[in-house]
Amino acid sequence: MISSLKLKNKDNHKQLPSNRKKRTLFIILISIIFLVIVILGGVLIDEGRIVTNLNDRNAPPSLDHLFGTDWLGRDMFTRTLMGLSLSIGVGLIGAIGSASIALFLGMAAATMGKMADRLISWLIDLFLSVPHLVTLILIAFTLGGGFKGIVIGLALTHWPSLARVIRAEVMQVRSAEYVQVSQKMGKSQWWIALHHILPHIAPQLLIGFMLLFPHVILHEAAVTFLGLGLSPHEPAIGIILSESMKYLSSGMWWLAFFPGLCLLIIVRTFDQIGENIRLLIDPNRAQD
Amino acid sequence: MKKKLFGIIVLATLVSSFMLGGCNQQLDQSGDANGEGIQKKKDELVMAFGSEPEAGFDPTTGWGRYGSPLFQSTLLKRDNKLNIVNDIATSYKVNEDGKVWTVILRKDVKFSDGQPLTADDVVFTFETATKNGSVVDLNGMDKVEAMDDYTVKFTLKEPQSTFVNSLVGTGIVPKHAYGADYAENPIGSGPYQLVQWDKGQQLIIKANPEYYDKKSYFKKITFLFLNEDASFAAAQAGKVDLAYIPAAFSNLEVPGMRLESVKTVDNRGIAFPFIKSGDFTEDGLPIGNDVTADPAIRHAINIGVDRKALVDGVLEGRGTPAYTSVDGLPWWNPDTVIKDADLDGARKLLKEAGWKDTDGDGILEKDSLKAEFTLYYLASDAIRQSLAISVADMIEPLGIHIKLEGGSWDIIEKKMYSNAVLLGWGSHDPHEMYNIYSSKFAGVDYYNTGFYQNKTVDDYFEKALRATSETEAIEFWKKAQWDGTTGLSANGDAPWAWLVNIDHLYLVKDGLDIGEQRIHVHGHGWPATDNIVEWKWTK
Repeated sequence: MISSLKLKNKDNHKQLPSNRKKRTLFIILISIIFLVIVILGGVLIDEGRIVTNLNDRNAPPSLDHLFGTDWLGRDMFTRTLMGLSLSIGVGLIGAIGSASIALFLGMAAATMGKMADRLISWLIDLFLSVPHLVTLILIAFTLGGGFKGIVIGLALTHWPSLARVIRAEVMQVRSAEYVQVSQKMGKSQWWIALHHILPHIAPQLLIGFMLLFPHVILHEAAVTFLGLGLSPHEPAIGIILSESMKYLSSGMWWLAFFPGLCLLIIVRTFDQIGENIRLLIDPNRAQD
Repeated sequence: MKKKLFGIIVLATLVSSFMLGGCNQQLDQSGDANGEGIQKKKDELVMAFGSEPEAGFDPTTGWGRYGSPLFQSTLLKRDNKLNIVNDIATSYKVNEDGKVWTVILRKDVKFSDGQPLTADDVVFTFETATKNGSVVDLNGMDKVEAMDDYTVKFTLKEPQSTFVNSLVGTGIVPKHAYGADYAENPIGSGPYQLVQWDKGQQLIIKANPEYYDKKSYFKKITFLFLNEDASFAAAQAGKVDLAYIPAAFSNLEVPGMRLESVKTVDNRGIAFPFIKSGDFTEDGLPIGNDVTADPAIRHAINIGVDRKALVDGVLEGRGTPAYTSVDGLPWWNPDTVIKDADLDGARKLLKEAGWKDTDGDGILEKDSLKAEFTLYYLASDAIRQSLAISVADMIEPLGIHIKLEGGSWDIIEKKMYSNAVLLGWGSHDPHEMYNIYSSKFAGVDYYNTGFYQNKTVDDYFEKALRATSETEAIEFWKKAQWDGTTGLSANGDAPWAWLVNIDHLYLVKDGLDIGEQRIHVHGHGWPATDNIVEWKWTK
């Protein structure tokens, strides 16, 4: 009796890591599939469904219109889907841009000498001292708004924290013994950067990139909500939300509820992926 | 995990209890306000309007063009039937060649500071307005002189029958009290005096005891500058006696208030570039558009658009189809009404003009030209946005692709000569039609953005301006729109596709009589004040 119990316990103990890993992988997979469906849906969906239909306005959610229709009879489900895929697209470009800047500046700060380090650290402090959104609005406004303004604004504002992490990582690796040995053996700076440092910081970069995503998407929604970005007829999630505000007092709750909920779900999904990847590959957390 | 959940529940309870608490407080407050409101009702009025006259209250820079000038009074005014009647003037006459206008003033008019209003003040007002060179258009005036204390002589460069509207629209300012800050401290001979103006919030006025004509029923009037949503909420809370609301809220009942819907010439339409591209303005902005320069495209859009559906769909039925910029006014020509929502007719028209879909993408082509153009609209205006989207979708089946672009006025100003623009006009002055369609105003400000030009129409305009009376002029205004063969309306050259006239909607507290409202002009809220001295509480 007792021995069997022990055995069971032991089994449990053995299975736990693989279960844990499987579960994490499973969550990541599900999340990615979900996102791909949303993106594909946004790209492939029939644009005819957001054509105005003045006979079918302000309809509450039904089977025909899952999320209801707006005051011009446009199908809110389609608009939301297109808005989300636009947001994800903008988020992708913005996050890639930010991550590249962070990688470049982080590496530069750690490898190019004291002066560069001081300058870049100062730059990071500068950007971190002002809230993202303020800098973002400033940049987007200077560039004349529009799609271009938002994307550049997003790319230019979200790098500092990641850059700081990368800088610290690179410094740590540089002082590691094997790197010192490499250096002594006459390998070039480039060789060391490519073969020793980059592989080491790749996980950090990937996790940082994934965690930037929800940030960027939320900020994109915020800026379009404020009306700085795109034309108000474009299906961006921020625009949809700010429009729906006007109709809340006439009781059309579905205009704000579903798109808002979807935005939340998408952002949470990205967050989940990021956190789970961190659990998988971060050496400090992988054994938790 | 459990702890976290518990924390969330505690937080949620706290937040919701705060929110509920807040609600209660608000309810109490509004209850109080209601109680006070009943006592105050005798001589006070609170109104919520969306648009604030940010430039202030100086008639020489445009204040009082739309709605009553409140603080000033004018030489002439229009009555509720839009006939011109005397105000400060006791009479006016025009000499035979139409160039010299002589106006005799009342002798008992005083400014609110007690000083009498004389011919000098009138001369000063018109000279200042000319110098300021703002929206007040006095280009046609050569000089203005005081003949004696109560006689003013205006000399025009050319005969201009519409000059009478300058006398109707320009409030007289006092020469002795006019300075740089006049716009914020207006003194005038009008029915009201300024008490307080908190920019961005409210305007408080009181009755002017020196006013010479029918005195206001109200001792004190407060204008609140609220956005549409807040206006509606204020009306629901019973805090305002009159609120300007958009059509989207018109189906919601507010207890204790009734909905007044006023017909307007506050119109919206699409101005097309009339000439082919290639030219540039002096500032280097491109002029003209090859697609909209084709009359078939403009006519097809005019015929194809379903104006009734726009009124019902975008304006919740609170509006009328528009065919010109002057629908329903005395100088409107009813022959300009066309049959619309006729997609087959539009298709036929396009086919005859040589437009064919050769590459099967659903968009017509003619030679190498694709039937697509960009339509700009003011991004911050929900109605313009809705109209633009709906029209683009209505026209798509014809094979004409309208790309939409929302922007601020700054952006639109740069694009409006070479792209279609959704604009709105509407005035009690027929001169506006001259401004929009005359070749003389091509590319001037927002007038005639499409560089429309038709010799016959220009001739009719000249004749109308040279007429010595409004009745005589009206004949020519009508002919300019459509004389049986040509004209500026959709029957003729169709340089515009007019879409709708937007009814102005007001929530009015039961028991408030706002008199007989005339056909409203362009502008949100203020046109209602035209007859504000006639308003009163009936219970």
